[in-house]
Amino acid sequence: MFKKIDFTIIGAAIVLAVFGVMMIYSTANVELMIRQTIWLIFSILAAIIFSRISPRIWADLSPVIYLASIILIFGILLKTDVYPKRWIRFGDFSLQPSEFAKFATILILANFLATKKKLQSFSDMMIPIAIAAVPCLLIFIEPDLGAAQIFLPILIIMSYWGGMSGTKIFILFSPIISAAASFSIYVWAAYMVLLLVFLYFRKQLTDLTYGLVSNSLVGLIMPLAWNSLKIYQQKRIIAFFSPWIDPQGMSWQIIQSKIAIGSGRFFGKGFLSGTQKKLEFLPERHTDFIFSCVGEEFGLVGIVIVVTIYVYLLYRLLRLAKETRNRFSSILVSGVLTWLAYQTFINIGVTMGLLPVTGVPLPFVSYGGSALLSCFMAIGVCLSVSRTKMAY
Amino acid sequence: MDESALKFRIIRNVIFLLAAIVILWSIKLQLFEGQKYFRLSEENRIRKKYVEAPRGKILDRHGIEIANTRPGFYVSVVRATIDTNTLHNLSRILDMEVSTIIEKSKIEKNPYNLVKIAHDISYEQLSLIEESIEAFSGIEVGVEPLRNYPYGELLFHQIGYVGEITSEELEKDGSYFIGDYIGKMGLEQYYENILRGTPGVEYVEVDARGKEVGQITEKRSVPPIPGEDLRTAIDIVLTESVAVYLEPFERAACVCLNPRDGAIKVLYSKPGFDPNLFTHGLQRIQWDILHKDPSAPMYNRATMSCYPPGSTFKPFIALAALDAKIITDSKRFEPCFGEYRLGRRPFKCWKPHGSLNLTDAIIYSCDIYFYQLGSYTGIDTIYERTNRIGFGKKTGIDLPNEKDGILPDRKWLEKHYGHNWTRGHIFNLSIGQGDILVTPVQLACAYTIFVNEGKIPIPHIIEKNDTTYFTTGMSHDALETVRTALAGVVARGTGTLARVPNTEVCGKTGTSQNPHGEDHSLFVGFAPASDPEILVCLVVENAGHGGSIAAPIAGKIIRAYLSSSNNDTLFAHE
Repeated sequence: MFKKIDFTIIGAAIVLAVFGVMMIYSTANVELMIRQTIWLIFSILAAIIFSRISPRIWADLSPVIYLASIILIFGILLKTDVYPKRWIRFGDFSLQPSEFAKFATILILANFLATKKKLQSFSDMMIPIAIAAVPCLLIFIEPDLGAAQIFLPILIIMSYWGGMSGTKIFILFSPIISAAASFSIYVWAAYMVLLLVFLYFRKQLTDLTYGLVSNSLVGLIMPLAWNSLKIYQQKRIIAFFSPWIDPQGMSWQIIQSKIAIGSGRFFGKGFLSGTQKKLEFLPERHTDFIFSCVGEEFGLVGIVIVVTIYVYLLYRLLRLAKETRNRFSSILVSGVLTWLAYQTFINIGVTMGLLPVTGVPLPFVSYGGSALLSCFMAIGVCLSVSRTKMAY
Repeated sequence: MDESALKFRIIRNVIFLLAAIVILWSIKLQLFEGQKYFRLSEENRIRKKYVEAPRGKILDRHGIEIANTRPGFYVSVVRATIDTNTLHNLSRILDMEVSTIIEKSKIEKNPYNLVKIAHDISYEQLSLIEESIEAFSGIEVGVEPLRNYPYGELLFHQIGYVGEITSEELEKDGSYFIGDYIGKMGLEQYYENILRGTPGVEYVEVDARGKEVGQITEKRSVPPIPGEDLRTAIDIVLTESVAVYLEPFERAACVCLNPRDGAIKVLYSKPGFDPNLFTHGLQRIQWDILHKDPSAPMYNRATMSCYPPGSTFKPFIALAALDAKIITDSKRFEPCFGEYRLGRRPFKCWKPHGSLNLTDAIIYSCDIYFYQLGSYTGIDTIYERTNRIGFGKKTGIDLPNEKDGILPDRKWLEKHYGHNWTRGHIFNLSIGQGDILVTPVQLACAYTIFVNEGKIPIPHIIEKNDTTYFTTGMSHDALETVRTALAGVVARGTGTLARVPNTEVCGKTGTSQNPHGEDHSLFVGFAPASDPEILVCLVVENAGHGGSIAAPIAGKIIRAYLSSSNNDTLFAHE
């Protein structure tokens, strides 16, 4: 019955999750460790059950799941008066609908992209963009910048894997670069000139028109949008560019996290012996900054091992996406792969001071039931894909 | 290669690339910068606490504490955890602006560390804070040793005070830290290194909030070495008497020393200021008032104010002339008719004295005799001899910022008056007026020459047995002549009001003219004449004649000393 299942995928995920439970014990307390263990058991069960369900059924169910998750987010936006509006509480447990929205969005995007044989024109992309934009915007309003940003790479890689060319994707999403460049009028002007040259030599009127119009519009609107960001969000972005100027503020986290990782040196300080986390210098050390403790307690050796497991898991998923003959399944796996890869890199990058602080959990390892469950649900679906990968 | 294989490779390579970035960055953080971050994590974890060494006490000659320490309550805050409610309540209780509290708390870089924002709060303030400490967050109250001056204003100028170190002082000496106390004036400043001691070091493990969570065993703590006590020659009882005698006057300076070894018994300057007020930290406004006060209470008049010595300088003109063998005691000049004309310019005497010899000229303080003696002796001899005695230079007393005074010589006069300087300038110098300026302590030391056979001790406030002397080389006969005259001043001359029953006093009165008002009244004297134990130099600003104001007070001081010195012998035999 389990014959065709790729056990290495679920194996790697479980290894990471068990390691995560250990780290939660080290950074927090027994109570949180037990909670996470209970979540892990349910998650593995969910993965096993999901692996039994045919990908075909996931495709059919995807609109329902998607709608349900959107309604959930809507629900917390309307009802809860806790700020930020991220959780629904069920007595002792709480759910984070944004985590499930990621899973749901990947399902429905895969379903939709699979129906188009070739993704050639921009018009093919309008509906996928809308599908990703709805949860993205709602989560942005919560506000949860960390969870909202994931939808963009998922959309890009899934359409890329689904058949769209790199250049097309670049032109399609180029307004985002325009937005980033618009903080300085000179950078933006230089970017626009380069873009114009590039589009001119492509000699395609639609690309040229779309590129110019969209980039100009975004470049003009962005400065206004910046002002609508919450002050703490603005501060986070600013703090990233000047970490030593304001050691009391947001960059306190980055500095302390770097100290934790760096002080681990080659072999680390040993399990349970981290001083940064023990003395509470690390904020959010069992959730978003758990990787700092890995670096502190297990050193470079620990980091290399953990990163290797992630790379192995991602590589297996990529292989699976390539080998799967079913178009829906293949695109679906590429979405899961992007989700996990992106979150892993962002989370680790943040703890090492490579990227600005955005609250993204480390897949499988960080404390948090919803994130763990949704990741294992995705892994379960991938297992069902691996079980049926020879079928069209 | 088909499209999907290409895309597979691209995505795979991106994953490898990202992993490589992470690993390389870890290598940078953990291997190349690992030591730095390890040190930072240790610094995070281990707080090096400086344990202040108890500051040495300052004692008077009988061992009475004139500067010691007492416990005081302070308030400290943790910037990261203090809330608005606490801030506003604290502001109300301490009568301190919220912005001031925040500003003070920013001295400390780590927002989780405690910062002292108020020292020496009252019991009332303490109980108000303690009452609602449960409702407050991010504040702590503690006890610290504070400097205490039991005699307050009385000894302000000698002892000085301690205050929080300034950033300039911090730059000069790296062994201090923000918030340390440092001697700012007087003995506290001069003997800072002895009094201060060596701060100890303690290592404690702290959490991110700066809360101590345990002791560190890997690093050994060093206990502080307390500062040494400073035993001074100051006679607090005599100083109190001096203060009482000078009660009616606004501004005055008094130096009493043992003329044998230069040990300072009294160094009193008026007006003063209660140094205990500095302990709380003065408010900006108070500080400004203190510094702009025209009577300059921060100024130690005994070592920093320069006065024309007036007639108290005459004995040194006489000494110079006698030592240089220009005249003998019997030398007489033109008789005094109350006025002496130099060209068309009249130089006055305060009363017509008739014809006098040197001794009588000193005893009756005849200006006209000294005009002629001075000009007869010449500026060079006067300068050379009196400079040897110590005029125009620091005495070397163990207090900071002592002034030189001014003793004009030929060059000085030429520099200030060009070649037009006249005998008139020498006339003025001869009676201690005009350009010459002395500090009271300088004048006091100069008079010890008559006690020590031409040697002058370097004055000192701390008690010590090995006094340094400098020799002036003045002849025994010259010294003896002037000394005899000084005895005559008090016995039958201008200083009769300084007489003390059963004791012969030597001294000289002086009236120093000054452009800012009434004359300063001066008297310098020592007693008993046969074996001097005490020398008093007294300047009462804007009080009038030396003979009528300063002399009687000096007499009282000598009397007070002599009557208490009997008790001293009791102390000595204990």
